[in-house]
Amino acid sequence: MEIPYNVKSRPDTGLYNAKLGIWLFLASEVMLFGGLFTSYVVLRVNASAENWPHGLLNIPIGTFNTFVLIASSVTVVLGWAALKMNNFARYRKFQAITILCALGFLSIKSIEYSDKFTHYEIWFKDGHRQTGHIHQDGKKAWFWNTKTLAGAPAVKDAKGNVVKPASPPIAEFEFSPDATHYSDAAKHTKGEPAAAEHKESAHASGEHAAVKVKTADIKRLSAFVPAHSTYFAIYFTLTALHGLHVLIGAVVIAYIWGPGAKLWKTNPEQYVNRIEVSGLFWHFVDLVWIFLFPILYLL
Amino acid sequence: MSLKAIHIVFISAAMLMCVVFGLWALGEWRAADGTANLLYLIGSGVGFLALAVYGWFFLKKLKNVSYL
Amino acid sequence: MAQTAHDTHAHAAHAEHHDHGPQSFWSKYVFSTDHKIIGIQYGVTALMFLLFGFCLMLMMRWQIAYPGKAVPVVGTLLEKLLGEPAKGGVIAPDLYNVFGAMHGTIMVFLAIVPLAFAAFGHYVVPLMIGAPDMCFPRVNMASYQCYFLGGVIMLASFLIPGGAAQGGWTSYSPLATQIPTDGQTYWILGMVFLITSSLLGSVNFIATIIQLRAPGMTWMRLPFFVWAMFVTAFLLVLAFPPLEAAAVMQLMDKVFGTSFFLPEGLFVGGQPADHLSGGGSPLLWQHLFWFLAHPEVYVLILPGFGIIAEVIANNTRKPLYGYRALVYSVLSIGFLSFIVWAHHMYLTGMGTKISTFFQTTTMIISIPSVIVLTCMFISLWGGSIRFNVPMLFALAFLPMFGIGGLTGLPLGLSYVVLQLHDTYYVIAHFHYIVAPGTIFAIFAGIYYWFPKATGRMMNATLGKIHFWGSLIFMNLIFQPMFAQGMAGMHRRMYDGAATYSLANGQDVIGALSPGIIKMNINITHAAFGLLIFQIPFIWNFFHSIVKGKKVTGDNPWEATTLEWQAPTPPPHGNFAEAPHVYRGPYEYSVPGAAKDYTPQNQAP
Repeated sequence: MEIPYNVKSRPDTGLYNAKLGIWLFLASEVMLFGGLFTSYVVLRVNASAENWPHGLLNIPIGTFNTFVLIASSVTVVLGWAALKMNNFARYRKFQAITILCALGFLSIKSIEYSDKFTHYEIWFKDGHRQTGHIHQDGKKAWFWNTKTLAGAPAVKDAKGNVVKPASPPIAEFEFSPDATHYSDAAKHTKGEPAAAEHKESAHASGEHAAVKVKTADIKRLSAFVPAHSTYFAIYFTLTALHGLHVLIGAVVIAYIWGPGAKLWKTNPEQYVNRIEVSGLFWHFVDLVWIFLFPILYLL
Repeated sequence: MSLKAIHIVFISAAMLMCVVFGLWALGEWRAADGTANLLYLIGSGVGFLALAVYGWFFLKKLKNVSYL
Repeated sequence: MAQTAHDTHAHAAHAEHHDHGPQSFWSKYVFSTDHKIIGIQYGVTALMFLLFGFCLMLMMRWQIAYPGKAVPVVGTLLEKLLGEPAKGGVIAPDLYNVFGAMHGTIMVFLAIVPLAFAAFGHYVVPLMIGAPDMCFPRVNMASYQCYFLGGVIMLASFLIPGGAAQGGWTSYSPLATQIPTDGQTYWILGMVFLITSSLLGSVNFIATIIQLRAPGMTWMRLPFFVWAMFVTAFLLVLAFPPLEAAAVMQLMDKVFGTSFFLPEGLFVGGQPADHLSGGGSPLLWQHLFWFLAHPEVYVLILPGFGIIAEVIANNTRKPLYGYRALVYSVLSIGFLSFIVWAHHMYLTGMGTKISTFFQTTTMIISIPSVIVLTCMFISLWGGSIRFNVPMLFALAFLPMFGIGGLTGLPLGLSYVVLQLHDTYYVIAHFHYIVAPGTIFAIFAGIYYWFPKATGRMMNATLGKIHFWGSLIFMNLIFQPMFAQGMAGMHRRMYDGAATYSLANGQDVIGALSPGIIKMNINITHAAFGLLIFQIPFIWNFFHSIVKGKKVTGDNPWEATTLEWQAPTPPPHGNFAEAPHVYRGPYEYSVPGAAKDYTPQNQAP
């Protein structure tokens, strides 16, 4: 049994099955990301200026990553064009660059992530707030929150073996605050010296010397993790979902590039179709990033 | 819509993003006057031009491929 | 010709065609890529879930009628399975909430949609358009497997400590995420699988209908059923992803402590929720949820329309009245269903301007729905109707859906909702649409296509018993609920509002009269009656698969559409030779024709 129009286009629609399928799938993806972008707008409109962090993401790294993705889209298309002109070796080269770009993007993203997981904000009981880094035994502390300071009893399994040793409560810890807090910018109008100082220091921020902070003075402590604020919640949700798409796209493209390339010998037309379909998906993923970058990093 | 068509859409969107980035950098630079912002401004302009040139080449090279 | 009978020639031609060789049980029935097997898998699994969801409701009905009394028959089993919440066989309030939430979820996402859309769609659509299979058979298989996994997760969640989700099928935040058990997490994970399943399925449907129509099968020659499925698939593709986005966000709220749907200054159990960042929006969840769930309402009913149209045309022996009007109506329903969602949210304080907009669109969408129903009523005019079992269900569908639809109109008006919101009136309204509406359409479809799928007829006498019992008891269940709702009985009270009114005495405004409360008992009896009248169906269904009367030809109902021109049951690859279509779908009783039906593939 042969399913019609698997490889050749149907004359009246001008499409082969997989192309129509991927476009329908992308339509649903548009609605998925559309839902999240809408949520971003709703959350942002509802948030007060002090609670919507600004300038905490690294713009040079983000820009670089954006151009990595744009470059990968270009190489996908060039690889496809090369294959259409029967130049398999050239296609292989271009598509290898695509895969490397995808992996590069993901590694850079993971560095950005780990940067956030070791960066903290403290809400003091007297109402002021500070961002900065926490050091414990000379190492950066990961994923702390208010509950970490209270300590936790040991976790035991059913047989009584200790799965996770008890952590003692922390009364005081070492904190290196950043020069400015992101909400300062919201308090000053643009053009005033204070704002200028903030802009200068936001990225190349020189840290102040480490200070001792007492747990008793703290109302809330959170790393820049999703629970920190709705901004980081939507930032991590959107970028993680996008990162998942990048990963899936890279795996598919790598499969077609590597073990799937046998098809080029037996059914070249279908092989070119596969490149096109995976390329369409890849373009969609990159297009999402083109929108994500300004709304998360700049605005 | 073929890969060619969406690539053109994509390059246009990327150019648009360069414009947005440039405008943002301009605003920041006028407000705060940092060298980093000036670099962003110049960089986004260069990016815009590079993408425009590439897009033009691309259209010329793939003249014979259908948009459908 | 293939449509006259199932001759040996067709079989021989097919045998050559069939290059797969003998298949093992696993590859043929479990990991099948054949659209017909997948359709049957969907159908049988979803029927099981339908029965399960019905049983959940029976236990709830028992609790409403006889608060605090042990559930008969299954009480001890409940206690053994679920422990504390079912102590002594009595349903505790939390368990009632579990049953309520899961009854809704299972009925909508695991029973009705998989039956009406997936089961009939998978089995019938490729046959109707003359295709050998769906566009992407392996995607099709993945779609069923995702559905199955989602179902398993939902069922497993009953057995975890604390039980399944309790936040209602709508899972409104903050309630859903602040209940301290893990049921909601399972619910979200299950939903992600179910959403994935329906996305895979519906992409496949649309691609199949666009790409694999047989030569000559133009758009206006498509049977109405295919049109209904086409629009339904679009609704699923476009409406489900925002819910997936919302589910991801709720999962983040539940697992990673974010505050997407949690406002600032939230108190949980009397304590301030200081550990949360706050700043989220509970309304956002409702918007995203209803953006799916309103189109979902049409996902529930459109396949029903499709099935009923086929059955009516076949059994009135005349063309469907206003085929084009039906097609355009169903297309406009599809479009409009995306802009009516907030009529579920009049009482959330979103503002009168927004309410007015959605009130207007809601009134507009009733127009195409009425056109569809009217066309079907007019189709009966002047027909020589055959009152077989599928037709009985189809005929009952029309007034029952009419009641459901007309009682829905007041609910579209924001000032009426002040009284009716969250009352039993709402329950009665949408159950009239779904139970004697869609479920009757599903029964009609099962009795109608059963001979094609198995080569045997279902027993007509048992079918008629099933029909009359179901019709009577469905009405006895849902009709009194209108009265209860208008009296103000709230839909989520676990003892049917009895304690509420008794505690406050009859003089209190809002207290229910004894007459209204007594209806709870009558409704519960009717529900058990409905259960009894499903037994003939269950017996009939399984018995007929092996012992039913064999059909003598491929076309026992003398129908015109293409699925009846295929061999019975259709083999892998469907048609002995690829069909060519020459005419519209409903050429019944054409003057001058040899027979009173002319199949679509009969050359002129």
